[in-house]
Amino acid sequence: MSETANLVKRLPNDLGGQDADRIQQVDHPLAPWEKRCHALADVLDYHKIISTEEKRRGVESLGAEMVGKLTYYERWIVCFANILFQKGILTPDELARKMAEVEARHPGAKM
Amino acid sequence: METAFRELLVDKKLIGPGEIRRQIEVLDSRTPALGAKVVARAWVDPSFRARLLANGRIACEELGISFYDDTELIVLENTEKVHNLIVCTLCSCYPRAVLGLPPDWYKAKPYRARAVKEPRAVLAEFGTVIPDDVEIRVSDSTAVVRYLVLPQRPAGAEDYTEEQLAALVTRDAMIGVIPVTLNAGSQP
Repeated sequence: MSETANLVKRLPNDLGGQDADRIQQVDHPLAPWEKRCHALADVLDYHKIISTEEKRRGVESLGAEMVGKLTYYERWIVCFANILFQKGILTPDELARKMAEVEARHPGAKM
Repeated sequence: METAFRELLVDKKLIGPGEIRRQIEVLDSRTPALGAKVVARAWVDPSFRARLLANGRIACEELGISFYDDTELIVLENTEKVHNLIVCTLCSCYPRAVLGLPPDWYKAKPYRARAVKEPRAVLAEFGTVIPDDVEIRVSDSTAVVRYLVLPQRPAGAEDYTEEQLAALVTRDAMIGVIPVTLNAGSQP
């Protein structure tokens, strides 16, 4: 398949059957914010605000570069924000203001 | 960003203030020990095994394991002729209600890309060599359908109690990348 045909047929998440490196049997205990982010995903799903499938598509639509460079839960939180902007539930301004407020409360903390 | 996002949702009353903390408690309560309990029960109780293979979710609920999400659970039985392996090629879907959260390698590209194309090579990287006359079936999970492997009961464990059996069953055996052996209990 040509490179462009492959790009059209495969979204960035669609990895099944591709060539890849050896498996590194790695794992890490979740950071507190990562665990909160996971719990947030579950709670958003219960309330039918963002379903698991919407989240999967939201991560996919971040594009190959973001998918490649952000960590697993960074992809999730960015995609949650994008989805709620699209749904008109949050605005980018609101989130930016809240982030500045949280940053002022906890200078230097990982948010 | 996570803190700001969460606080905004609470301010807008879209989620309750304690919900995230309560869900963290649910997540913390899920470990591979639950899956191991299910597997051990299936080994000692043929009627439970039949119910488990017919409907994984209902059988797990029978053991008091609740499903906190809207997923179906299909349990795949390993036999002399078939070895099962689970993967999520699109993302990281996993039977979280019974195994907890997946390990990083399950979520990373090499496992997701290669498990469906060259499962024998992938298994070999976990030290598992499946004889050529045993079929390997790879099941690809989705947002709503999750799988759990029911490994073969190891030879030599005929006299073990259900509890002793459960202690042998590891997370990786229930993903299907390793068999259950008599000395595997020390793995995560």
